Amino acid sequence: MPGPAIVFDKVTLELGGTRILDNVSFRIEPGALHCIVGANGGGKTSLIRSLLGQMPHAGQIRLEGEQHGPVGYVPQVLDFDRNVPMTVRDVMALLTQRKPAFLGASRTHRAGVEAALRRMGALEKEQRPFGGLSGGERQRVLFAQALEPLPSLLVLDEPCANIDEPGARIVEEVVLELNAKGVTVVWINHDWDQVRRLAHSVTGINRKVIFHGVPSEVLTWAEPKAMVS
Amino acid sequence: MNAIYEAIRVALQGMAASGSLPQAFTYQFVINALLCTFLIGPLLGALGTMIVVKRMAFFSQAVGNAALTGVAIGILLGESYTSPYVSMFSFCILFGIALKYTQYRTNLSNDSLIGVFLSISLAFGASLLLYVSAKINTHVMESVLFGSILAVDYTDMNILLVVTLISAVVVLPLYNQMLLSSLNPSLAHARGARVRLLEYIFVILVTIVTVACLKIIGAVLVEALLLIPAAAARNLSRTLGGFVAGSMIIATLSCILGVLLPMQLGLPVPTGGAIVLVAALVFVVTTIMRTTMSRFRATGV
Repeated sequence: MPGPAIVFDKVTLELGGTRILDNVSFRIEPGALHCIVGANGGGKTSLIRSLLGQMPHAGQIRLEGEQHGPVGYVPQVLDFDRNVPMTVRDVMALLTQRKPAFLGASRTHRAGVEAALRRMGALEKEQRPFGGLSGGERQRVLFAQALEPLPSLLVLDEPCANIDEPGARIVEEVVLELNAKGVTVVWINHDWDQVRRLAHSVTGINRKVIFHGVPSEVLTWAEPKAMVS
Repeated sequence: MNAIYEAIRVALQGMAASGSLPQAFTYQFVINALLCTFLIGPLLGALGTMIVVKRMAFFSQAVGNAALTGVAIGILLGESYTSPYVSMFSFCILFGIALKYTQYRTNLSNDSLIGVFLSISLAFGASLLLYVSAKINTHVMESVLFGSILAVDYTDMNILLVVTLISAVVVLPLYNQMLLSSLNPSLAHARGARVRLLEYIFVILVTIVTVACLKIIGAVLVEALLLIPAAAARNLSRTLGGFVAGSMIIATLSCILGVLLPMQLGLPVPTGGAIVLVAALVFVVTTIMRTTMSRFRATGV
């Protein structure tokens, strides 16, 4: 069963008197791999956070589909006190189970968590302090948590920003695998070549929708100028 | 519950009389104090780990100062000046909610806003107490700030027990979401957590725990027991489980030793001070271990 369609309908967001998003409207089809591109500060992350229900906005964001499963989300970074004593296993427990993480990993999620970490090449880091991992290693763990339980919608905010080449390849493979299973993917991505290769649809945002459509048709070399102007 | 407390008291006093326990256990106030420590230690130890992660170190101190105002209001409304719990709980919960609400409206950082509220609450509470001081014993302010663990009665113990049970019932199912909300609100949202509601619940929880502990150990000691054991446990822990368990054990042991050691050794140290000193000693030892032993240095970054 495909993941949900997403409809952004006249989404407007203001923060501290500054308009971050201005009347943003577009639709992501069910089960699509959709990329959002745009200049820094153009409102991409704010749009994603509005989708996750974290930003008070005007207009509507609707998920359409017969059934909505879990939402997997991979933030750009996990900014927290790196001295908090938490292993990778603790972080995964914190994110995936209801049983308090300090009481240990839940048996119900154990297999799923191990499979997700293994898929991201991070299983051998399970006993390591999370705060002691490199940026790329942490990003792999963050990606793994989004895979358990299997999401129907996967939201990625530049997940490859701090990740090495092999890690980026794994991310790409896993995104394609999930998308083949029908998971709708919303991916903020600065790598236009990757967008051209992988995405079914793309939206360029700089406070407003600059372009929206199939990458081969809308991602022309003239577009970057329009994105920042 | 009073019957259970009585049964424990009779049993312990019997053991003390037969020489199985130290002579200190012949005193009811020592037994009451120790019973309280078995609730306060694990409660503050566990909650302290969340306080440290959420960087709300001085929040309990601000609530303790707000309790001064609560006491003054209670006296003005005719509550008993020795246990004005209704006013203290009511005012302090409103205080905590107002603090969190202001933070969401102004986007000021936790520490700045807590500092502002801490100063206001101390000034306002002390002024109001001075205004009503003609009606009360002026040692009430001292009692709120420093408590008196050796003067607790069964009412105090029952309130502490109820608050401990409420805390366990609320925190255990919400622990992961509460911690995640402070680490990354977006991620918490995506996982279905209602971040703001959880923050308000946490603030109310810390508030009622602080108020329940005020008469027993005082605002200053509540803050110390929320922070020092958690900081000490963090020095040596690699895992979240070790962090929480370590903090609970250190807090409980500090309370027990703080109550018993001055009596056993005949030291002229107040109980509250002794509890903090024991916890502080543990913190110093763990800090030395962390800085000198590679095994513990590896827990940091």
